[in-house]
Amino acid sequence: MNFIVWSLIVLLVGAVWSLLSAGWPRWSLAGGLTCIAFAGLAATSAGLIRLIGGGQAAHVFAWLLPLGTVKLAIDGLSACFLVAIGISSVSAAVYSWGYWQHEMQPRAVCTFSALLCVMVAAMVLVVCAADVVLFLASWELMSLAAFFLIGLHDRDPAARRGAWMYLIATHLGTALFVVPVLAFASSHSGSTDFESLRAGLGSIGASTAALLLVLGLIGFGTKAGFMPMHVWLPIAHPVAPTPVSALLSGVVVKTGIYGLLRLLTWLPTLPVGCAVAMLIVGAVSGVLGVLYALAQHDIKRLLAYHTVENIGIIGLGIGMGMLGQSTHQTGLAALGYAGALLHVLNHALFKGLLFLSGGAVIHSTGTGAIDRLGGLARQTPRNAALFLVGAVAICGLPPLNGFVSEWLIYGSLFGGALQIPGLRAATPVLGLVSLALMGGLALACFSKVFAVVFLGEPRDAALQTHGTPGSMLAGMALLALLCVAIGVLPGVFVPLLAEGVGVLTRQSSDEFQSAIRQVWAPATALTWMALVLASFVALLAIVRRQVLGHAPRAARVPTWGCGYPYPSPRMQYSASSFAWSLISSFRSLLWPRKEALAPIGPFPQAGHLETHTADLAEEGLFAPLFAGIARLFAMARTLTWTGRPTIAPPIRPPPAREAAPLRVVLARLLAAIRRGSIQVYLTFMVLTLIILFLIEGFSSGRVSLPANQGSAGASPSRAGAPPARVEGTGP
Amino acid sequence: MSFWRTVLAIPEFALVLALPPLLSSIIARTKAWFGGRTGPPWLQPYFDLHKLIRKGAVYSRTTTWLFRAGPIVNLAALLTTATLVPVLSQHSLISFAGDIILIAYLLALGRMFTVLAALDTGSSFEGMGAAREVTFGTMSEPALFLCLAVIAIATRSLRLSEMLGPQLFAAWHAVTPALLLVVGALLVVLLTETCRIPVDDPATHLELTMIHEVMVLDHSGPDFAFITYAAALKLTLLGSILLHAALPMPDRLAAVGPLLRLIELAGLALLIGVIESMTARLRLNHVPRLLAGATVLSGLATVLILTRGHG
Repeated sequence: MNFIVWSLIVLLVGAVWSLLSAGWPRWSLAGGLTCIAFAGLAATSAGLIRLIGGGQAAHVFAWLLPLGTVKLAIDGLSACFLVAIGISSVSAAVYSWGYWQHEMQPRAVCTFSALLCVMVAAMVLVVCAADVVLFLASWELMSLAAFFLIGLHDRDPAARRGAWMYLIATHLGTALFVVPVLAFASSHSGSTDFESLRAGLGSIGASTAALLLVLGLIGFGTKAGFMPMHVWLPIAHPVAPTPVSALLSGVVVKTGIYGLLRLLTWLPTLPVGCAVAMLIVGAVSGVLGVLYALAQHDIKRLLAYHTVENIGIIGLGIGMGMLGQSTHQTGLAALGYAGALLHVLNHALFKGLLFLSGGAVIHSTGTGAIDRLGGLARQTPRNAALFLVGAVAICGLPPLNGFVSEWLIYGSLFGGALQIPGLRAATPVLGLVSLALMGGLALACFSKVFAVVFLGEPRDAALQTHGTPGSMLAGMALLALLCVAIGVLPGVFVPLLAEGVGVLTRQSSDEFQSAIRQVWAPATALTWMALVLASFVALLAIVRRQVLGHAPRAARVPTWGCGYPYPSPRMQYSASSFAWSLISSFRSLLWPRKEALAPIGPFPQAGHLETHTADLAEEGLFAPLFAGIARLFAMARTLTWTGRPTIAPPIRPPPAREAAPLRVVLARLLAAIRRGSIQVYLTFMVLTLIILFLIEGFSSGRVSLPANQGSAGASPSRAGAPPARVEGTGP
Repeated sequence: MSFWRTVLAIPEFALVLALPPLLSSIIARTKAWFGGRTGPPWLQPYFDLHKLIRKGAVYSRTTTWLFRAGPIVNLAALLTTATLVPVLSQHSLISFAGDIILIAYLLALGRMFTVLAALDTGSSFEGMGAAREVTFGTMSEPALFLCLAVIAIATRSLRLSEMLGPQLFAAWHAVTPALLLVVGALLVVLLTETCRIPVDDPATHLELTMIHEVMVLDHSGPDFAFITYAAALKLTLLGSILLHAALPMPDRLAAVGPLLRLIELAGLALLIGVIESMTARLRLNHVPRLLAGATVLSGLATVLILTRGHG
């Protein structure tokens, strides 16, 4: 607890110092960043102590706060998020020193440093607050600090737009959904203390609980960036200064996940439908997030869409945790929540790394447009290696950390397919398929971005490239090291999650371990496999070196152009062409637009090809919605049906809808159904079958669950297994 | 029992690693027979590997260390996979609950490094091949995981050697239709992942139409030996999974099991040779339909197995 108080004090000192020394930007920045680094270390230590030692610590300050008290508490759940916040802040602080060296403008630098102190402090407060009023106050402080940081380069219209989008989205979510949920909870339990909320909400009915969860999912989900509330995220995150983008995507969005999980700890056991809804939201966010990411041409925007994907993966984990709790399968709940919590940390690590590394690319070349870059691996080899670590980790590939958390979530999904009887198991199977699809698409996406930015030849000869400062590399190296450490030694890190999961499932640490072991292998198995993989790599590298040592060294030649002798860098495959085959395969989900001007005739003029993929949720859902609301207000103001005042100039009409609106989607869907391809008809057969089985199941009432079967036996056998299977498995 | 299994596992693993070029040879001989030719000698793939190992390597000026790392990581990932997949006997070298996920992701790791090595050359042909590889790899993933889910549900196990063991033999009696669909879908996944006709043509030298072969155009010498061997090993491993799923063995055949598996693997190679000789390669924009079809079939299998209690 002391660590938290110290980190808050240090951050306050940092903020004040940065403002006071505004005349000396170097001192201002150095002081602020040092304070952030030490505060981050303190927060990480506080979290780790709680995760290793267990228990809960609370501290009430005798300060006056209207309506509530200043009460800070760290339990396992807060501790998991504290570790993520602490590590990300340390690396962002180290990175920022090198980042600002080339543009030491006093105003921007000291504002940045002071606001960053405030934002980190607010995040620490959000996850440690144990009182509704304190939570909301720090939540607001965090949003405001983030707003000013996004709009730091306020001469840039894109930065202003991103900052305002962020502010509006986060306030709509907070005011319309989060505040009502928390207000209901505290009025129902008669206190604003988190402890009493848990006791007070334990008695509410299932439908009220489900309603609270849905409201919380929308409210906190706006902060976290679940589809379709994600629209602000790919606009706001890319325009912020790079260290801020890394913190925003790495940890600020995670406070939304924290809020959702905190709400879950208060609610009584939820109906299965809530878990199914959570799983579907997670699957949709994940698949669509990565598909949109694949279609992007800007490196930071692409990474921002990947945040939506990873939030979807976390959502899948949370959904499986809820499903496990609703169906009393402790193993599934433990695996699901553990996977989600570990992915929160992992995503903070590798997304932080990728944003910082992508920012270093922009720093050294001056552009983030992927298709203008190329060949950076030879000019900035260290940055390329760090980006590669992040890319392999985010694709969930062994032996790095992304694989560990996805492996846990897969365990929960597979376990759900096995242990949940009847067609209800279809939801985990659906989650399984979506997670597999996300894995493949993420691989495609990061092959694309790594290869186009770092490999091949530079596409734009006009771009000047300069190296990456050492402190930027150091900040990234910290994150990369942790990515490898968690991936290779999951046996050390996964048991630490027991405290965090225990807050949600009320399991002790031993129960957590044994619940996992019922379904899935302990994570130490992955350490052995990482060793096997590493030794095979080493062996093959030695073999290659040995056999090549004997052969004569051949000259370095140009790439084989299949007989064409004059290839130019512009002929290389670009990001758009690499992604196009996947994008066009999923065109019914994405509606990509392609504008082509083919060179024709005997003397062709310059040709032109442009692809663009608009966000369907932004242009098809929110733009018409807000245009309608604007029109309603206009009608109220002018007291006319048209909303047009007679004298004043007319209100700007709503922007032309370029993306497909809903009715075009429906019309094209109908056309697609009758396209006459065999797999569409097959899909309909399967869907019809599912519906028939569902009708049959519900009409005969057999979908209802046998209650509380999970605690019955250690083996993952199904209590209500049909007799045919029992005969089948006999010797 | 377990002592003997440990002792025998090492020679078995060695045999599994020695086998892949022979399967390539069987496919080549079958195709030659259909074409009315004699075909290369049976041991030609081994000679080719030996020749490549002794050669020097030529590198493009554009490439970086990733180009050299690609074949190594790809082969290492496949060798690691080989320790997890039961090939000849019912047991793999290493086995734990959840190894199926590791297998799928190790294959993906190999794919990522092959793709990156291809893109490292800056050649637009290799970019084309890499784009197709990730597209079709992504689309075969849902079908693969659905198949794994069906087998897991049928055998109530999450460990690959149990999922493909005697329990599956018993499950075939109970849920034959679902498992038949799974075998069909797995065959499509196998042909896609190993870049065979009707998805990719390993024999063509027209760069515009190839996937795997065009990605490795610039590799030579020992690197190319690693790639050739890795491709054959991938075929052996995925083929074994397919064979174990299609023809599971009861316990009483365990003694002659490895011999039967050897014959079956030869039969699978023969089957692939026949498919390659009798069918044409699909147009590239029709491949997604094939994979979507496989996904739907495995989805149907999932529905069948999840609803069997309602009958």
